[in-house]
Amino acid sequence: MKSTSELTDFYYKELYPSLSKLEKTRTHILSQLKWYGAMGAVAFVIAAIWMGKNFGLLHPLMMGIVIGFAALASMTYRFMIQGYAKDFKAHIITPLIGAIDPHLLYNPDFVISQHLLQRSHLFQNKIDRYSGNDYVKGSIEGVSLEFSDVHAEYQTKDSKGRTQWHTLFRGLFVVAEFNKHFKSRTVILPDLAEKTFGNLIGGWLQSKNMGRDSVIQLDDPEFEKKFVVYGNDPIEARYILTHAMMKRIVQFQKKIPHPLFVSFVNNHIHIAIATQKDLFEPSLFTSLLDYKQAMEYVNTLNNTIGLVEELKLNEKLWSKA
Amino acid sequence: MNVFLIILGVVTVIAVLMYNSLIGKKNQVDNIFAGVDAVLKKRFDLIPNLVTSVAQYMEHEKSTLEKVTELRSLAMKPGISDDQKIALDAKLTAALGSITVAMEAYPDLKANENVMHLQRSLNEAEEQISAARRAYNQAVTDLNNAIEMFPTNMMAGWMNLQRKAVFEITTTERQNVNVHDLFNK
Repeated sequence: MKSTSELTDFYYKELYPSLSKLEKTRTHILSQLKWYGAMGAVAFVIAAIWMGKNFGLLHPLMMGIVIGFAALASMTYRFMIQGYAKDFKAHIITPLIGAIDPHLLYNPDFVISQHLLQRSHLFQNKIDRYSGNDYVKGSIEGVSLEFSDVHAEYQTKDSKGRTQWHTLFRGLFVVAEFNKHFKSRTVILPDLAEKTFGNLIGGWLQSKNMGRDSVIQLDDPEFEKKFVVYGNDPIEARYILTHAMMKRIVQFQKKIPHPLFVSFVNNHIHIAIATQKDLFEPSLFTSLLDYKQAMEYVNTLNNTIGLVEELKLNEKLWSKA
Repeated sequence: MNVFLIILGVVTVIAVLMYNSLIGKKNQVDNIFAGVDAVLKKRFDLIPNLVTSVAQYMEHEKSTLEKVTELRSLAMKPGISDDQKIALDAKLTAALGSITVAMEAYPDLKANENVMHLQRSLNEAEEQISAARRAYNQAVTDLNNAIEMFPTNMMAGWMNLQRKAVFEITTTERQNVNVHDLFNK
């Protein structure tokens, strides 16, 4: 495992040739995009003036024109960035993952299995649409691990029968082997009820959560404040969540500014980090050489792969081979 | 008359709910104690194996090994009370801990795959016991709270429910390990 600073060095030194080449492509696309944008804006103004003269600005057709232009703009943007994003993943993210551990496999177009997200019991709605990319699989210090970007959605119908899509989870989903045997199900969720309604009412609301197993009260006050635990075996839940493990989870949560969901099912640990965005995508509007941008790629990868050590999943003190 | 009936109805419902929640808590304690018992038994089953495997190496710790065996047979006697069981378990944990520490001094032992596997199984049992204890303590605390808090305390008094003891960490476990002593053995 390499440290963040070693990886940042790697990013700027080893990847410099690819970075500068990609950076040129980026500025080129950006200037093209500005040119197209200006043309598009002029076309839109002309269309709007013509509409205003013939039908009035509030005519329903105007709505069609706005949507049409927006769709055209987003299509152009996606088309133009496509090759750049592909090159970025092939020449930057792939070697970066290789530098963290050469045994990790990376596939930019593949997504972690939907079955694993369902198995985790982290989210209860059924998943109607599932997508993602940037799949990594491998083994770190003998612990098998896989993760990818995930966007899971479900649909509802409103009173007029129109379908609406809601995001169930968007972010990074990690599944790793756990170093102890267990048969039960333990789910750790961010503690929203207690935070919003206080100890007494929040605690009561948690215990009434339909569809979840019973609440398990744990003996670490800091952990209890941040999370709520549901499980179907109070003894095994504590076997998994030792005092040390609870501390490590709290520490990990402090490091990431996003809600953290963890579950232990079927001898595996499932971790969902709700970043609410697609990770490992190049941004057209910030330089690839920008330090903050570079740190984001390096840190996300290093923190995720480093989870094995952070949570000490590689500790083999127990009889599980 | 109607008002009286409504009040009577409400009071009955509250009483039933309180009664059921108390019984639920009491059964949860028994239920988890059964879990504690199961993992304790798991450890008891491992002990004879461990003792026979390490006895040939650990000449100096004979008395500790004998003590462990003796404690095990005491704890496995039928008909001992829960409290006694808890007390014996605490002593056993302390004795096993000192064996583990002593094992560090025997490189032969650490090279023995069989002993190491036993050691890992014991670690596992140890953590399961610790988990079961914590679960038991939580269930007992829930029950004790209900027994002492208003208004369930009145119902509990009438049901003749008694407070239960929680597992306590033995004083030897609470003390910090003295590294100096370890090296001067």
